[in-house]
Amino acid sequence: MNANNDDIFSIADIIDSQLESSDRQNVGRVADIEAEWREDGTLVLCHLVTGPQALSGRIARPLRSLAQRLLHDRFEYSIPLSDVEKFGPTLRLRRKARDYPVGRSERWIAEHILRWIPGSGY
Amino acid sequence: MKKWLSITLGIVTAIGGFLDAGTIATSGEAGAKFGLGLIWAILLATVMAILLVEMVGRFTAVSQKPYAAAIREELGFRFYLFPLISEIIAEGLLLTAELGGMAIALSLVTGLSWHILFPVAVVIVFLMAWRAPFDWIENGPAIFGMLMLAFLVGVFVMGGPSQETVQTLWKPVIKPGELADYFYLVAAILGATISPYLLYFYSSGTREEGWSGKSLLLNRITAFAGMGFGSLGSITIVIMSAIVLQPQNIQASTLGEIGLTLATPFGKIGSLIFACILFVTCLGAALECVLALSYNVAQGFGWPWGENKKPVEAAHFNLILVLFLVIALLINLIGIEPLQLALFASTIIALFLPLSLLPFLIIMNNRQYLGDKINKPWLNILVLLILLIAFVVSITAIPLELLSGGG
Repeated sequence: MNANNDDIFSIADIIDSQLESSDRQNVGRVADIEAEWREDGTLVLCHLVTGPQALSGRIARPLRSLAQRLLHDRFEYSIPLSDVEKFGPTLRLRRKARDYPVGRSERWIAEHILRWIPGSGY
Repeated sequence: MKKWLSITLGIVTAIGGFLDAGTIATSGEAGAKFGLGLIWAILLATVMAILLVEMVGRFTAVSQKPYAAAIREELGFRFYLFPLISEIIAEGLLLTAELGGMAIALSLVTGLSWHILFPVAVVIVFLMAWRAPFDWIENGPAIFGMLMLAFLVGVFVMGGPSQETVQTLWKPVIKPGELADYFYLVAAILGATISPYLLYFYSSGTREEGWSGKSLLLNRITAFAGMGFGSLGSITIVIMSAIVLQPQNIQASTLGEIGLTLATPFGKIGSLIFACILFVTCLGAALECVLALSYNVAQGFGWPWGENKKPVEAAHFNLILVLFLVIALLINLIGIEPLQLALFASTIIALFLPLSLLPFLIIMNNRQYLGDKINKPWLNILVLLILLIAFVVSITAIPLELLSGGG
């Protein structure tokens, strides 16, 4: 019962927070969270979820299943809580940007679209 | 010393609020129709803009979080969608209008049709937004924007407004049937000046400049000097319009007519200066518009952003920027006059203004972000007043536009 106040987060502190990779890149925002009931009766936060399906679910629940039917979980990504190095208004993650979907799509856009425009720095 | 040069951030921000194609038109029309009778609205808008810009700058300098990011974090994704969507629609139109303003300025100088020159304007804005570092984006328009002082010089050359015109300052002369016009212009001035995109831009600009909690004095001075400069520009257009156009019964319904305000005291050079002012302010506003949009989306979704990065290092951000310019090219193909487009965009902005400003009440009082730099109670009262004014502007914008026939 003597939990340190600094370690207590409300869901509002985590949802929509900025995610930052270990190489200090912005890699999206928390769209949703996943928690599970443990046998001892506690509810434990286990994953942070990013992706368009989770986000559409935030607008209205039916949109989430609609988005799932269209996208088949292709862009959804769950980040295990053990990946979070530091909590706060910005959540620092342990891995590099290229290990997360936003970092990968950044590279995809750079390699497939922007490189054809002169001066892109590719 | 270099730090103090970032005062230009305030000036370029003010260009988007006070001196873009739409507001040059509105100020010109205000002076031509009502003399100095609408200057109070510009002053009121100036005070509101200074307060909001100071707050958003303080917030970002202290918390290191830009405004769009704070809206999503504090009010959630669902709320964030309202300002986001209204900004995308309104700024898509406004960007097209500003590019059109640049094209008209080029056509005043070259004599070519502005329709042909529109793609030239797009290329210029693209080149700057694509590769120019943030310093250039603020300094270029801010330095050349000083040409705006030509209106002030013009007021002196023309010997100032007549005794009769000066009286309209506190006793506006509103002819029968022009009341709707008058209030439409009040709403247009307030709505177009405190448009949220300048707040997204300024807030992101303070991050590009690397301001911190130690930059608060600089922030305050920048807000005052920048918005003050914009306000001076806008007011001197009204005065020149009242001196030159009102006696001749010219309604100032086109940018060309407003150009007469400088052609009368300075002759041919005056027309050239007007074209340069129009070009520079529309360039500043177009850059501000397209960047504010890209900043807003990238920050709201948590992607990398920044003008000081190579395009491939902030790929989503730069892709959005290119897409918006392409969309502006497409909107232009519909063939709506830039001024009509700017007025229409201002109406949409006015409609959603309360939603875009509401977050101020919440984020400016959050100690987690601001520590002891949260708003003082009197500032919160002023924010409430601004919200009230924004609400009135929002519900009256469309009825007034219909009643007055769109200005």
